[in-house]
Amino acid sequence: MEHIAIIGGGGTAAALAHDLILRGFSVAIYERGEFFSGATGRHHGLLHSGARYAVHDPEAARECIEENMILRRLVPQAMEQNEGLFVALDDEDMAYRQRLKEACAASGIPTRDYTPEQARRLEPGLADTVLAAMQVPDAAFDAWRLALPFLATARAGGATIHNFTEVVGIDVQDGAVRGLRLRTLAEDAHGARGREWSAPADMVVNAAGAWAGRVAALAGVHVPIQPGPGVLVAIEGRVTNMVINRMRKASEGDIIVPQRRLSVLGTSMWLTDDPDHLDIPPEHVQRMVRLCSEMVPACAGAAIRSAWSAARPLIGNADAARPQEISRTFDCYDHGTRDDVSGLLSIIGGKGMTLRAMAEKTADIICRLTGRDATCRTRETPLLPARAFYRS
Amino acid sequence: MSDTVRTAPESPDAAASASSVSPAPEPQQARMLTVRVQRSGPGEANARFDDYRLSVGPEDSVLDVLDRIRVETDPTLVYRHSCHHSSCGTCAMRINGRERLACITRMLALGSDVVTLEPLRSLPVLGDLMVDMRPMFAHIDPDWGYVRPVEKASTGVPHGVARYTRLENCIECGACMSACPVSNGTDDMPPTAAQAAQHAAPQSARQVARQAASQAAQGTDESLASAPPADPLAAPMFIGPAPLAALNRELARHPERREELLHIGKGPHGERHCRRHMACSRACPSGVYPAKDIMDLRMMHGGGKD
Repeated sequence: MEHIAIIGGGGTAAALAHDLILRGFSVAIYERGEFFSGATGRHHGLLHSGARYAVHDPEAARECIEENMILRRLVPQAMEQNEGLFVALDDEDMAYRQRLKEACAASGIPTRDYTPEQARRLEPGLADTVLAAMQVPDAAFDAWRLALPFLATARAGGATIHNFTEVVGIDVQDGAVRGLRLRTLAEDAHGARGREWSAPADMVVNAAGAWAGRVAALAGVHVPIQPGPGVLVAIEGRVTNMVINRMRKASEGDIIVPQRRLSVLGTSMWLTDDPDHLDIPPEHVQRMVRLCSEMVPACAGAAIRSAWSAARPLIGNADAARPQEISRTFDCYDHGTRDDVSGLLSIIGGKGMTLRAMAEKTADIICRLTGRDATCRTRETPLLPARAFYRS
Repeated sequence: MSDTVRTAPESPDAAASASSVSPAPEPQQARMLTVRVQRSGPGEANARFDDYRLSVGPEDSVLDVLDRIRVETDPTLVYRHSCHHSSCGTCAMRINGRERLACITRMLALGSDVVTLEPLRSLPVLGDLMVDMRPMFAHIDPDWGYVRPVEKASTGVPHGVARYTRLENCIECGACMSACPVSNGTDDMPPTAAQAAQHAAPQSARQVARQAASQAAQGTDESLASAPPADPLAAPMFIGPAPLAALNRELARHPERREELLHIGKGPHGERHCRRHMACSRACPSGVYPAKDIMDLRMMHGGGKD
């Protein structure tokens, strides 16, 4: 049984461990902090219908709608399945409406039109300037509880998972990966804090998200990762039950995601080379509140509960005119063919909610490279509930 | 990288960039503070406090500051965090002696020059500010639901939705478990008849609870890194507020399972141990009132008095 070591403890790593266990591999996860403490835990929790990407990024749109439908079945207890609305507030938005509708149809995203009066019956908090609305199959989810079932199920199936364990080296001999050098950050059964140890592996997957560039560098290879942070703001109170999107080209401050007693407003975007130092510029916070209050005026008066930044793990693209135009799809790199370091893969790009699809693609490549004939079973295999993590 | 943009370029008010301090409206200034963090290995072995002195901005949360200390000063500092907006429930800790979420607690709003950070009580310490949540989850059935109908009636629902639903308020952070005097071993009230009957030797509730707490806390002094820790899942005297609150929510979801669920609450480690300190409800960062859930259960059990 080949042993696969996964670097990173985000949603992609959790879903990959689950997928590989189902396909008969031995799996270990190494995460330097708490699980899901990078972009996985920090995003706004929108189970995208894909409509946001339908016009400019149809590949990402199709990934979203497909995974949307799968995750609704797999982890219903982590979701508020109340659908989403795109709302038009001005002539420019109205002009975008038809393009959006057609692009959604082309990507298989169902839509339904509402008059402003109908829309306000669904969501009385909408601005009275709303000119038209369109329903899409968005939902809200709890990021921690969406990802945790994958980790719980993987561990129950035999995966070993280590948090607070930093990868300090990738052991490459004669052009092939042999294992990892690790450092324990929280004292545990493996020894005292600061202890360094080694773990052999037949293959290593770099699933470190925005940190994937740093991990790749440990093996002397490069991946085109471009961390793209953005600011999110949680305000007190559910201003709506449905997810609210601005009916225009994906931009800033155009999404409101209700969740529990809060509403999450997002988001801005800039690019950085350092995912460890994420600013929370106060003017971004103010801008998110102002832009979202154009759609739902109650956003402006609500107390701010939290403002934070998350670094999207974008695939670098120097041709994109705006950061928002960088595709949100994902890709898996085999460093055996790209860089002559066999046994090392990097999975980069993607979104929190495409974790399962990213895992499937990566596990397919691992099967091909190891000659193991096993098909993906994560679409239909039930997951343990999130709380089972603490019993697995 | 040549095409790197530090702030979103197309925004109309991006003139004030991330690096330049925005003018007004925040009157508060950054201040130098001391952050005093409890450091320890598993079972609070070799516990000590480390002081970090740093400049803290008006908007900085305790979690923002911990992140900065970890990245810039001490990568071995261990604490849990994920969502940064009070949804995941991982970053509960004692901040200046009170249970709070690090992510929504603004450092300067605490109004002290030294901010002390300690791990939650009632749960075994795994290292620094991280505790083992398993003893709490041992009493919350993984199969209990987590979604419920929204409270407010709506004037309409979208196509395909029968009723608006939402996630439960409880984020399972453990703050109530830590604050509960019965669970954390600081209960000084005289024991009830039920407690006295359960424990043959007469002793105060505090002694009983201390025993239970130290059982749960993996050994303590004599526990070395090499020694196997006491079973953190060993039954405590009181299963604590969070499991009972979750139980009451599950009852609301499944009235048809009333008998079976009430039986759990009525068990030897259930609601009978609540002394109505109300500390759980005061500590909850998420609008759950576990003390009320416990009283609901007590009423359904036919009780109502201590």
